[in-house]
This record gives sequence, structure tokens and C-alpha cells, in this order.
Amino acid sequence: MKKEFLRIFAYIYRNYVFAVRNIFTFFDLLFWPIIGIISIGMMSTFLNLDKSLLSFLLTGTITSGVLQVTQLEVSYGLLYEIWSKSIKQIFITPTKHYHYILGSWIVGTIRGLIVFILLSIISYYLFGFYLPKIDYIIVSLLGIFLTGLILGMFVNLFVLLYGQRVDIIAWSVSVLTMLICGIYYPVNILPKWLIKIAEFIPLTYFLEYFRKGYGFEESFKYGLLKGFILCIVYSFILFYLINLSHHHTKKTGSIIRLSE
Amino acid sequence: MKQYIVQLKNISKIYTSLLFLNRRRTKALDNISLEIFQNEIFTLLGPNGSGKTTLLNTIIGQILPDNGEIYIFDTKIKTSIPEKIKRKMNLCSGNPNFPWCMTVKEILKFYGLLYGISGKKLNQQVNKYITIFELEKYADVRFDELSTGTKQRLALAKSLINEPEILLLDEPTLGLDPEVSIKIRHFIKKIKQEQSITIILTTHYMKEAEELSDRIAFINSGKILTIGTIYEIYKNTNTTNLEDAFLKLVHL
Repeated sequence: MKKEFLRIFAYIYRNYVFAVRNIFTFFDLLFWPIIGIISIGMMSTFLNLDKSLLSFLLTGTITSGVLQVTQLEVSYGLLYEIWSKSIKQIFITPTKHYHYILGSWIVGTIRGLIVFILLSIISYYLFGFYLPKIDYIIVSLLGIFLTGLILGMFVNLFVLLYGQRVDIIAWSVSVLTMLICGIYYPVNILPKWLIKIAEFIPLTYFLEYFRKGYGFEESFKYGLLKGFILCIVYSFILFYLINLSHHHTKKTGSIIRLSE
Repeated sequence: MKQYIVQLKNISKIYTSLLFLNRRRTKALDNISLEIFQNEIFTLLGPNGSGKTTLLNTIIGQILPDNGEIYIFDTKIKTSIPEKIKRKMNLCSGNPNFPWCMTVKEILKFYGLLYGISGKKLNQQVNKYITIFELEKYADVRFDELSTGTKQRLALAKSLINEPEILLLDEPTLGLDPEVSIKIRHFIKKIKQEQSITIILTTHYMKEAEELSDRIAFINSGKILTIGTIYEIYKNTNTTNLEDAFLKLVHL
């Protein structure tokens, strides 16, 4: 058991070193989320939106920042090794996929939490934005972190199969997800077929719950329950698929090509 | 009777690639059988593209063979190497790659943790191999700032961090200048002298094979041409150096 924790800790350690030594991780953490919150906040001021609409938009922006940082960190779990061409070295050790996924996710949640606190403070001082009650915050954040885990695993699955040439997915998957889940608008204004897709994405329910804290109506019954069940089901499916794709790369020999 | 550590039975591997609906099949390993004994340096010697690295990656579980059986420490390897065996193996590649922004010390610590080493023992291991491979002045230098020779010494240090019983060295002097190559070979001999370890080496340098190996397997086009000690190979091919022996076997 101790060795299992040590392996997870190894990836926390590696991600931490990368986070403090690379400028792009600083941009992920601070630059883009802050640019996002300021531009949306300024736009709301310019449009003279009332407090409730301002909260609606800013919850979307904060969620977007937290989700992207968490998901990227989980994706980095594998991408750091792909970019370093050292993936083979990792898999000859007793590493299992859940070690780097969990290790990176832990770092991702810490970074996500920093983004959340920072964006909330900025929104409060610049735009008079108040956070909802603590129970709304805790549950929504947990849901956003879990969605980040799932999206990160989704990226890992493709990166393991196709290598660096698909690493762009890491920066597009959460943006695309947020577009479907109603980042700046309620889901029910989307076309019917897109609403159907949104129902299968857990973030839809967590975002709605976050906004419920400001008095907005939820579009779906048992949203939170559905969200958490989807998270559990997806993480098991993705974990299985990642193992399957690793097996495939060993059969085709592509895992070696990823290290050359 | 000598005890073997690794046994391969009829290992075959064909790579298939698809280019514009044109399926290309390359036979990388062709019915390979061999045994590697405890505490020997066993060398896979052959030209580039002969299949030696594929064979090494098959032994370490990074490539799954199409046919055949692999036994390591008497355990039949199926789709992946069990953790208890992985803990006793390690690899040093000739073209070493590690996370670019981590320092020498951090890389060794990271891999040590992956092998389940922690606390005092981890620090001892890291410092021990930094000293052995003369990496003291590079301990806090980032990987992307190291010279090729230093990277290679780091790769060797990393490959010993878990004190493996089986060490796989994949072209450890590839692309190094003669002076550094001599140093690396010196380190390999030192490891062998000081530790109870089985080394599986791949190289295309005849001199390196001659200097380091207890037994050699000539490999070409995915096939084993012969296996034996240097003396046995000279005797069987009626030659006095490995180059002539190899050419003779290829043209048989």
C-alpha cells in the first residue's frame, strides 16, 4: 500500500517541478483565467447587466478557468512524458495508469482551487460578485474537479494511441465541453439534439447547481445525482479504455516510437 | 547447472504498417529462442535494424510478441510483466530521454519513488549513484542542459536506482565519442564486478561486445545466427575476430 502512495506521490512531485519551472504552466494557471474573468466582467459592466445576470456569466467564467486548469494537469500526466520522449522509461517501472492519473489530478485540484480563489477575489473587488453558500461551492467544485479528471483521461486515451500529433485536444476538449454545457447561457436555449448531448456531460449538472446558489432554476431533475453517477461511470470506462489502448500500443510497437 | 533468468521460446514479431491502403509487413523477430543465465553479460550483436532493440523491448514487456513464450525468473509473462518482476528489472537506453526540466537529482528521486523507494534509503541511493557515475557537479543541473555523455551516465545511474537483478542496456554507447564510450564501458564492467546482476546488452559495436560479453548472440534480419562465448564463436566460424565471424555467418 505504501508503495502505491509513493508512486502517486512521484507524479505529484514531477508535476510540481514542471509547474514551477515552466512559463506555460503559469499562463495556464493565471494569465488566461484572469483575462477571461476581466473581459467577461467588463463586458457585463458595459452591457449594464443586473447582479443576477452578472453572477450567471461569472460563474461560467470561474468554472471554465477551474475546469481547464484541472483537466490540463491530468492531461500533462502523460503529455510530460510524451513531450520528453520518456514514456517507455515510465512503463518499465511498476507504474500503473492510475498512478499518474491520480497524482496529476491531485496537483490539478490544488491548482484549480488556487484559480477558484483568485478569480473569486478578482470578481469580488472588480465587479461586486459574491460567492454562493459554502455547500454550493463545495459540491460544484467537487463536480468540476471530477469533470476535469474525466476530460483529462479522455485526452490521455488519445495521446497514448496517437502521440504528440493529437496533443491539441488537451487545449480544446474542455472549451468544447463548456460550449455544450452552457458556459454563458442556460442549456435549454441550445438546439434539442445538443441538449441531449449536454445531458450526457456531468459538467452540465454541476454548472447548473453552482448557479442554483444564485437562485437560478435547474433544467434537469436529480441533476447532481446524474452528474456524479456519470463521473463514476465515465472514469471506469476511460480507465478500461486507457488500459486497452496501452495493450494495443504494445502490440503495434507504437509505445516505442513515442519514446524516440 | 547454470540457472537461467530469462528464457525465450520461439518468439516472433511482425510489424504491420498501413500507407495509402498499402499494407506493409516487416518481420522484426523470427522464431527466436534463447536463454540468459544468472550473472552473465549477454550481448545481442547485430547491425542497425537487425531486431536487437525489438527483442530487448519484448523482454522488458514494451512490445508484445505475436508468437512464442517468455519466462523471466521462471514466471511465464503474458500480456504484462508482474510488478514483483518489474521491481527487479531496469533499462538504460542509448538515446536517453527524461523530463527536460528536472535536474539530475530530481530525475533519480522521481524514478526511485516509482520503484517504491522512499525516505533515507532514497536519498542514500540517489547520492550513491551520483557519486559512482561522477555526477556530483551536475546534481542540480536540468536534463536539457546536460551533455550527451552526462545524459548517458545519468541514464546508467537511473537504471541502477532500484538495484535490479536484470539490467538491460540498449546501445549504451550509441553516438558517444570514443573517450566517453570507454568511460561508459568502464562503468558497465564496474557494475558487473560489484553487484550480482545479469546484464543484457545490445550493440552494433563489435569491440564493445568483445570487451564486455560473457556470451554473444549474433542477430540479423530478426534471426539469431549463433549464440556462444567469444571463444566458441571463433572456433565454430574458424575466425579470429567478431567482424569476420559475423560476415561468415551472414553469408552462410
